[in-house]
Amino acid sequence: MVAFILYNLSFIVFGISVLGKRWSNRDADSHMRRWGGIGLWIAILGLISHASFTGLRWAASGHIPVSNLYEFLTFFGMMVTLAFIVIYAIYRKPLIGLFAMPLSVVIVAYGAVFPSAVTPLIPQLQSIWLYIHVTLAALGEAFLAVGFAAGFMYLLRTVNFKDRSASGKRQIRGVEYTLIALITLIAFIVLVFSFNGAGYRAEFVQTLIEEDELGQKVEVEQTVTYIIPPIVKPHNSVQVEMQPFLGMKEPLFEAPAWMKGVNAGRKLNTIIWSLAVGLILYGLIRLIIRRPLGAVVSPIMNGIDEQDLDEISYRAIAIGYPIFTLGALIFASIWAHQAWGRFWAWDPKETWALITWLFYTAYLHLRLSRGWQGTKSAWMSVIGFLIIMFTLIGVNLVIAGLHSYAGV
Amino acid sequence: MKPSAGLVVFKQGGALALLTNTKCECGHQNPVGTVLCEACGLPVQQEVAESDGLLEMRYEGAARRSQKSNPKLLDRIWNFFSSVKVAVYLIIITLLLSILGTLLPQVNVVPSYDPASYYAEEYGKLGELYYSLGLADTFGSWWYKGLVLMIAASLIICSLDRIIPLYKALKKQQPVKHETFLKRQKVLYIGEVADAESWLKEAEEAIRERRYQVTREGTSLLGEKNRFSRWGPYINHVGLIILLAALLTRGLPGWYMEQGFSVNEGQTVSIPGTNYYLKNLKFTEVKEVGPHVSGQELQFAFETDAILYRCVADCNNPFAEPQLEEVLQHKIRPNEPLKYDGYSIYQIDYAFSPQATIMTLNVLRDGQPIGELVLNLTDPAPAYQLGDVSVELTGYYPELTSVDGVPATKSRLPNNPAFILDMTLADGTTEQYFVVPFQQYQTRISGAEDSEPLTFEIGGMEASFYSSYLMVKVERALPYVLAGALIFLFGVVIGLYWQHRRIWVRIDGSRLIVAAHTNKNWYGLRDELAKILDKTGIEIDAKSLDNSGVGKS
Amino acid sequence: MARNKWVQLTILAVIIAAGAFTIGANLSKTPAPKVGETAPNFSLYGLDGAAYELNDFIGHPVVLNFWGSFCEPCVREMPLLQKKYEKYRDQGLVVLGVNLDESTVTINNFIRGMNITFPILLDKNVVRKQYGVYNYPTTFFIDEKGVIRQEIVGEMNEGSLPSHDIEKAIKRLLSG
Repeated sequence: MVAFILYNLSFIVFGISVLGKRWSNRDADSHMRRWGGIGLWIAILGLISHASFTGLRWAASGHIPVSNLYEFLTFFGMMVTLAFIVIYAIYRKPLIGLFAMPLSVVIVAYGAVFPSAVTPLIPQLQSIWLYIHVTLAALGEAFLAVGFAAGFMYLLRTVNFKDRSASGKRQIRGVEYTLIALITLIAFIVLVFSFNGAGYRAEFVQTLIEEDELGQKVEVEQTVTYIIPPIVKPHNSVQVEMQPFLGMKEPLFEAPAWMKGVNAGRKLNTIIWSLAVGLILYGLIRLIIRRPLGAVVSPIMNGIDEQDLDEISYRAIAIGYPIFTLGALIFASIWAHQAWGRFWAWDPKETWALITWLFYTAYLHLRLSRGWQGTKSAWMSVIGFLIIMFTLIGVNLVIAGLHSYAGV
Repeated sequence: MKPSAGLVVFKQGGALALLTNTKCECGHQNPVGTVLCEACGLPVQQEVAESDGLLEMRYEGAARRSQKSNPKLLDRIWNFFSSVKVAVYLIIITLLLSILGTLLPQVNVVPSYDPASYYAEEYGKLGELYYSLGLADTFGSWWYKGLVLMIAASLIICSLDRIIPLYKALKKQQPVKHETFLKRQKVLYIGEVADAESWLKEAEEAIRERRYQVTREGTSLLGEKNRFSRWGPYINHVGLIILLAALLTRGLPGWYMEQGFSVNEGQTVSIPGTNYYLKNLKFTEVKEVGPHVSGQELQFAFETDAILYRCVADCNNPFAEPQLEEVLQHKIRPNEPLKYDGYSIYQIDYAFSPQATIMTLNVLRDGQPIGELVLNLTDPAPAYQLGDVSVELTGYYPELTSVDGVPATKSRLPNNPAFILDMTLADGTTEQYFVVPFQQYQTRISGAEDSEPLTFEIGGMEASFYSSYLMVKVERALPYVLAGALIFLFGVVIGLYWQHRRIWVRIDGSRLIVAAHTNKNWYGLRDELAKILDKTGIEIDAKSLDNSGVGKS
Repeated sequence: MARNKWVQLTILAVIIAAGAFTIGANLSKTPAPKVGETAPNFSLYGLDGAAYELNDFIGHPVVLNFWGSFCEPCVREMPLLQKKYEKYRDQGLVVLGVNLDESTVTINNFIRGMNITFPILLDKNVVRKQYGVYNYPTTFFIDEKGVIRQEIVGEMNEGSLPSHDIEKAIKRLLSG
């Protein structure tokens, strides 16, 4: 309970620090410095309160709180704040906070969607390596995330929204897609909280034919509860209960047969909802402002040197890369070897960590040896972040494996 | 400033070689392919000499193997692997294929012995296609391994191609640089000084303060720091090569092994692939409940208390018990494997499956016990002796059932054991009994009609409640893999977190030229140079040192 | 310089050797043997205490049957196997029954009850895995050269289901 309050407090403080950052832009240079400073202190305060929340949870559960998706995401959000503070200490550019802090907030909010009950560690997780591997991986990824924030800022700063040429249009579209992805994520969070808050429920029972150990076909029934109105119901399922939504009393269609498992249908439903609401939101915004969203955000960036942004993005990635390699790959393997005897099993999560690593390796080679600076480098930092997000979220939700956490 | 070509004959370790060299204005002989003179830095390659943009400072403008003209097949292969562009392509292709390998579960986790039909059944057309393309075993496939091999080749050849000329060039470098070289650097300051010597003294002090190593020659000065950071990429490549080579050694006999096996409580099994046996003394589930948070379960673990044995005789004979010698005892838990002789045994999983293991039957005649039969329900002995009665076990059905009225067994698990016992009594008469202890059923099939039949009662029973799933593993390559990984990390850190910086000073009369170069973080270099110049009385803004406006080459 | 060329060649040679080593290992992985491939050799002890090796029977057609007394279809087809053994024995046919990890008491009892005279071999889950046998009964028909000509999974019969007809299978095997 205490933890919950603290959590809310730190959330609010994060929010304020974001606002603090936003304010800093409308004013002149000295004001920028002043508000930027305030924003920084609020961020530090937020970090401290979040850290104490983490500490409390640690004491309550007896283990470091990074063992399920909720815990990890909130921890990751905290790391992003930390990474931002470090980068700020080096470069003293408060504007980065404008993007890095909301990123942290969104990540923490996203984490809050998932079940937050304290659960005991399964035996395989009872090791000191849990602490080291996950925390370092989160820290490394946090720096890479700040690199993304700076890279995206660079694009917003430099992409010419009036450019009608083919490559110009591609850039504009790219920026828009990234913004749409962010809006969809926010839509998802809002959806879950609102429907959950309103107490919405729908239930289905799915009948699956499985083979048991003797090779005989057995009918298995599984129940699933939806907290978002079902547009799509699980394959071969029967409606037990559904609260009507907008006059809809039945799901619109059924999940295809190859989506096995009772949860697949629910996840598909969640994805459809998020995409739909995200696109509708974006569409509304476009209708109102009549220009690409990026074009509206872009003027905020005027006044910051894009070379600096490029440099910051690179530096953040350069700091994050070795930490990520150490935490997500090396320590992960050492731990896997100790727990399961296999330091590398091509588990989807492991493989995606490798994919992330390969990507940033390519990034560094292209930047350092082939002179890919500026725009190209910025786009790579965006794609890299998408890969990280997929590793953290997509793999857990879509692909099953050793690493899966509970889903929504 | 045209380079003059000279035909020179060299004697190299006994072999004769013909070489054309390029001789620089300053008198130094450069190998063919050199871009910037090794001594004074003057551009000697024609195209570079005739343009006027920033100088390409990679590898100090030294001649590289892969830049040779007129490449033969061997050279073409070398050039291919030495190219960074190719390396990036290889990395990206590996990345994309790895993504494909995560779309569907791979064969090693699929719960089926017939993968081909499993994929088709579970995932339909997509699954069929996935399997037929070989993606179901992406990471073990020959093309994936081939890609990794190509990356290894690229690592080796890229590094060799560059590090040797770079090392030589950095070793040989001199403080005196040609004007053109300096004027085409990315960081440049040109100014005037009144007294060369006194300025140089101040400059040297200011530069040394910032931890540069300073060498002087006449009125030229070279300040250099953190050269070690240049070796970073090559060290990290070496680390990766070691890692990949270590992985390769897994193919050597005795270097890698992985076998899963299961042991019931009380059971001793042969550890597959080894000469060892493992006994499961007891399996325990551990549950600890915490004081906080409403009595929630805080800790859950499981362990097998195991004894490791070594077989010393009769190891492969199904008719004799292997002779075992105890080696050690260990409680195997997840994260705490049993380690011995290069083998590690891990606790992977378990199942709650109660099963009787040993049954003791008391044999009574007229209510009086005449002995007991201790029956091993997995593999019972065929003969027993009860005082003066000899017993032969001629039939055993672990899980009795009846098929067309004839006794048969449903499985190999002793869920309902039934025995056919041939008893030979002291007086030579024989009797045959059929006993089903769990069903409390026994009957005398044949024997003396006039005497009371013997009775059989369950006297005792041992059971196993848990089946423990373990895995035995040999992974001799592991320390080398780790070493490779750590060397990689070390290389990355020294390459990324430090920068190699050099400052050149050249004074001709009263004209001062200061140029500087770094492999990364120009921002910081300009800042630092501005601070140094400040100390010598020259106040300028760091940004003005940026010379990149000079027509990009 | 000649020395450098040798270095280049050596490096490429090492890489190619490493490649051959890794990828070669790939191609020589031994999955379950299929029809048309050579039957993997194995050694097992028989119920009679003698040691048997599959390669000892090269020159004879072999019917290799994996069975267990807990498996009803295996039990049902046993008399059929015995009958065919007696019929074709003089023509050089060898029948081997590989038992799947049962106790000797159980096997002995069963064999005596059925009057089985062909050799019964005792396997503790080794040869079964080698041959990729996961469903019982499974029977391999191996020719004189040691090549698997046919694999029947499931109870064999005579006359009702052509795919599982043991007479047909043996005739095919003997005709070469």
